Formats: sequence, structure tokens, C-alpha cells
Amino acid sequence: MLVMKRRAGESFVIGDEIEIEVLEVAGSRVKLGIVAPDSVAIVRKEARVTREENITAALPVPPDTLAALARRLLTKHSY
Amino acid sequence: MPQIRTAYFGELDYTEGTIFHFPYGLPGFENEHAFVFLQQPHTQPLLFLQSLGDPRLCFILLPILVIEPNYAANLDPDDLAALHLAPGRQPVIGQDILCAAIVRPGGGESGEPTANLMAPVIVNLKEQIGMQVIQSDSSYSYRHPIPIGKEVNLCS
Repeated sequence: MLVMKRRAGESFVIGDEIEIEVLEVAGSRVKLGIVAPDSVAIVRKEARVTREENITAALPVPPDTLAALARRLLTKHSY
Repeated sequence: MPQIRTAYFGELDYTEGTIFHFPYGLPGFENEHAFVFLQQPHTQPLLFLQSLGDPRLCFILLPILVIEPNYAANLDPDDLAALHLAPGRQPVIGQDILCAAIVRPGGGESGEPTANLMAPVIVNLKEQIGMQVIQSDSSYSYRHPIPIGKEVNLCS
């Protein structure tokens, strides 16, 4: 991983078409400004992971697995 | 009464009043905007978020407090507005909102069930509007192991 130190107001470029500027640093939060072509998808990492997790979670589950999971939860939580 | 085809429970009756609207869908399923929550006696305490538009699409959920009794969802002003919740205060789970985690029955490394505590499904119970809210600032896991008890035979 390339590590680079930047201050607020400074920027860096990736290739010829992508520029990322550090707009603001406040505590543990950094506000970034990104200039990139429309064809480049920019999403927060969490959004991408959530999407992947959802797609896997939506795969069908055998009915027996569901019932078994529910029974095991019931014993734990003793409703 | 209209019927819904479900992924796990065949055809079920439903009423218009039980439909929950997800204006943004869920990540990966952005075009699915209408869902119903299903519960069945033999799968309690699991909840099922069944798409109205795609009978094959059904998420398995658990109320988040079942997994993590101290869970605190943190909604920012944009989330509150999107869910039509009152600004300026965090909604109360169970009163204002339903907060549930998407379950993967074999999500863990050893095939144990996991729940996505990082990105819970949150629903405004009064307005019946829902969305998945990513808790970026939290230390919750996408694959939180669900503690489970020893399986018992309920018929005994």
C-alpha cells in the first residue's frame, strides 16, 4: 500500500483523470473531494461490502436449515 | 385478498396495509421497493423480509436486540429524513423503529450462523418505510457470530 501524507487543501492524482483533494480534517474525520470521469464508480467501501453481503445473504436456504436455525435460537433465548 | 408468492412459505394472503416501502431498495437490490415481513410459528424468532416484486428474494432477519441486547443504532440527519423520523433525536428500537439484522445461516468460517450488525434493516413502524443503514462509525461486524444453544427436539 502506498502511504502519503497530505494536509487540508492539498491533493493528489491517480492516473491522468482522477484527482483527490483533502478538503477538511476534523478529529478522526477527513472530508475528501474527488474529481473523476463519470465512468468510474465511486462508492464507500462499506456500501460495496454491504452489497456483497446482501447478495450472498439472499441466496435461497433449504427449509430444513431454517427450521434448525430457529430451534437452536429458541433454546438459547428460551422464548 | 391478494396473495403473495414467497420464497419459503408458498402462497400467503396479505393486505395492502402490511406492505413496507424501501425507497432505495437494499444495496444489491436497488429496484426492489416493496416488501412484507413474514413470521411463521415454526421459525420463530426469525423474521423474513419478502420482496413483493421478486418471489425468490427473501432475506432472513433477526430482531437486533435478540442478538445484541445493548445494540444502539445511530442514525444521522439524512437517515432520519429518509425514514420520515423526527429529526434531532434517536428513535427507540421497538417503539419508533424495527431494527433487524440480516442473517446468513452459514456465514461464519466454521459454517455457523452470522448476522450483519454493521448494516441493519431499519423500518419506521408508523410510516412503514424502511432502508438498510450502514453503521460506518461503529465497530459492529458484517458477520457477527450468533450465539446458539444446543439443538433440542421441540416434540419431546
